Amino acid sequence: MIMKYLKQVITVTRWEFSRFYKPKNEALGLIIMIVTSVVFYFGGKYAFSDTDKKLEISVYMDMDAALTEFLSNHYIVKEIQKAEMAKLIELMRNEKVGVLLESDSKNFVVHAYKNTRAIKNLKTHLTEYHKQREMQKIGLSPDELTAVLSPAPVIESFVYTDNSGKRVVLSYFFAGLMIMAVFLSFAYQFTAITGEKQLKITEQIVSAISPQVWMDGKIFGITLTGISSMLTYAVLSIVGGMLFFQFTGLPASGILDYIYLPSIVIYLPFALVGILIWNAILAAIASIITDPNNSGKSSLMMLPLFFVIASFLITRDPDSGLSIFLSWFPLTSATSMPMRWAITEVGYWQLSGSFILLVLTFYFLRKLAAKIFRVSILITGKEPTFSEVYKLSKMT
Amino acid sequence: MIDKMQKTVLRVNFISKGFSNVKAVNNISFAVEQGDIYAFLGPNGAGKTTTIRMLLDIIKPDSGNIEWNLNGKQNKVPNAEHIGYLPEERGLYLDIPILKSLVYMATIRGMEKAYAKKTALDWLERIGLADRAKEKLQVLSKGNQQKIQFVASILHKPEFVILDEPFSGLDPLNQELFIDFIKEINNQGTTILLSAHQMSLVEKVANKLFLINNGNEVYNGSLSGIYQLFGERIIIELQLEAPFNETTFQYLNGAESIDSIDDLRVKITFGQETNLKNVLHDLTKIEGICDITSHKPDLHEIFVQLVKKQ
Repeated sequence: MIMKYLKQVITVTRWEFSRFYKPKNEALGLIIMIVTSVVFYFGGKYAFSDTDKKLEISVYMDMDAALTEFLSNHYIVKEIQKAEMAKLIELMRNEKVGVLLESDSKNFVVHAYKNTRAIKNLKTHLTEYHKQREMQKIGLSPDELTAVLSPAPVIESFVYTDNSGKRVVLSYFFAGLMIMAVFLSFAYQFTAITGEKQLKITEQIVSAISPQVWMDGKIFGITLTGISSMLTYAVLSIVGGMLFFQFTGLPASGILDYIYLPSIVIYLPFALVGILIWNAILAAIASIITDPNNSGKSSLMMLPLFFVIASFLITRDPDSGLSIFLSWFPLTSATSMPMRWAITEVGYWQLSGSFILLVLTFYFLRKLAAKIFRVSILITGKEPTFSEVYKLSKMT
Repeated sequence: MIDKMQKTVLRVNFISKGFSNVKAVNNISFAVEQGDIYAFLGPNGAGKTTTIRMLLDIIKPDSGNIEWNLNGKQNKVPNAEHIGYLPEERGLYLDIPILKSLVYMATIRGMEKAYAKKTALDWLERIGLADRAKEKLQVLSKGNQQKIQFVASILHKPEFVILDEPFSGLDPLNQELFIDFIKEINNQGTTILLSAHQMSLVEKVANKLFLINNGNEVYNGSLSGIYQLFGERIIIELQLEAPFNETTFQYLNGAESIDSIDDLRVKITFGQETNLKNVLHDLTKIEGICDITSHKPDLHEIFVQLVKKQ
């Protein structure tokens, strides 16, 4: 009996996986993503190439020589007579070019056609110059200013030390991949279940296999599809990370500092069961939707986003009561517990307890999803309401 | 208990099913024996599909029970490997190659993949679609799609197959083709439960029938039996010169029912004891008749009469 169940579930799982996992489409998506990134990177560089050129700034001949010298390091400084001001302002109005800087002992006055990125850069440089001038006024050296502004020199000594910085990056990365997998599942479950209903295949299928086999096959098959996409993008991200390190002058192997094996060993099973749980929930919701274009229940499919985002609250205070709750609550624990583990001290009993709870939740949710599906096919001709599904599930 | 000596493969005992305030099926019983083409007939909404769904355990009866005896095993629920089903609400994956869909349908019913592929190709050859095996279903005509759906329901060589409205949406040529398919799989040993409302087609293949109306049994027995019981009536159709007026015919001896076909045509059904000679004699006394034809009632007409009586 179990062998027959397993054989049927594997058949349905493979079918659903092959229906939705299209390596060609996946490769095409990746190529589009890479091309888009390259276009944006080089396009952006080209687009900003004008603003990266040295800006020409006009100043009066009698302006503070120190300021003129300071500005010369960053801009082309053109000294003009005060009489030329009107002509320059006229040029700004008509030709939309030119910058005039006036300065006295207190203020800087900038004239330009409009506020641009170059003007914002100029303001940054003026702020820097202003600081230096004020320091000189009170006789403060640059080293003394740095000492004043630096944080208190606290030497930390903890019993538990974590090295969490890089691990948190990895946990965010996993949460991101999970969101991606859940949203891919959202699209696939919708197509798989409501599509089969609309194509009128459901009745033929349930005459051959039990609703539980059908539901399990759908959940496993589509989870597998989501995970395959997730792995593809994970590998791509690692390669992208290595290239980033290479371009920024760091060794490509620097990415290995972020790939902390124990974290992966913990995140993977949590992410896997988390995706299975969301697939079971999404499949149950899709089961009671007849027409996805007109059903008010379609918005429920956005539910996972709320819980995944809630799990990010962990980072504010991983030891708070809320964080502990989120890391145990099955709808958030798949992302919250690995995150907590990355940034604070979490006992192995907590890790295993939360994981067991997650697995048990999946076990019962898939049963509930199959029951909802079985009940929803009894209601024909219209979309079942939640109360109808509840009443019928109590009766059957 | 099912009597194995009689090779009864399905026995339905007093099943009923209601939805809200509607009694969809009301206390019906019947038995199907091995090799039968058992017609389950009734108009739309009579309770046929509800009964079939109970047979397949898709829904449970409110009362009564169902016994299956397939592959020598007695069960309350049919084993998917031994039963085929073409639902009334049917479809297949439109965006997937035909052969792939057929193989999947057979494998979820327990058939080995390689054997399913071979059998599917044989069937595709037989229905003239072998060269389109790798095409998607959506490119086929509606008639060809229905052929594929039929093949999907019998590909795994079931011992018993339920065909719910197999002729719906088919043109006359394809209806005849489906009748040939049904005869062919029956000759190969498959017992068939055929639910339909096109009685003229059903009477070409069925050997037994169950007539159902509003969830109630109207007739249960052999096809020859229903003709013996109800087929000895005489039906006369008259072409009139002036619009039909019922009072003109109400004094005809032996007339069980008088129905207008249209303004200028009328159908009169006479009881079994009626003498055709006397009827014709009486009709000569009525003015305005320009044509007379007579025939024995077909299954459709018998069904209409039975429902009226009920």
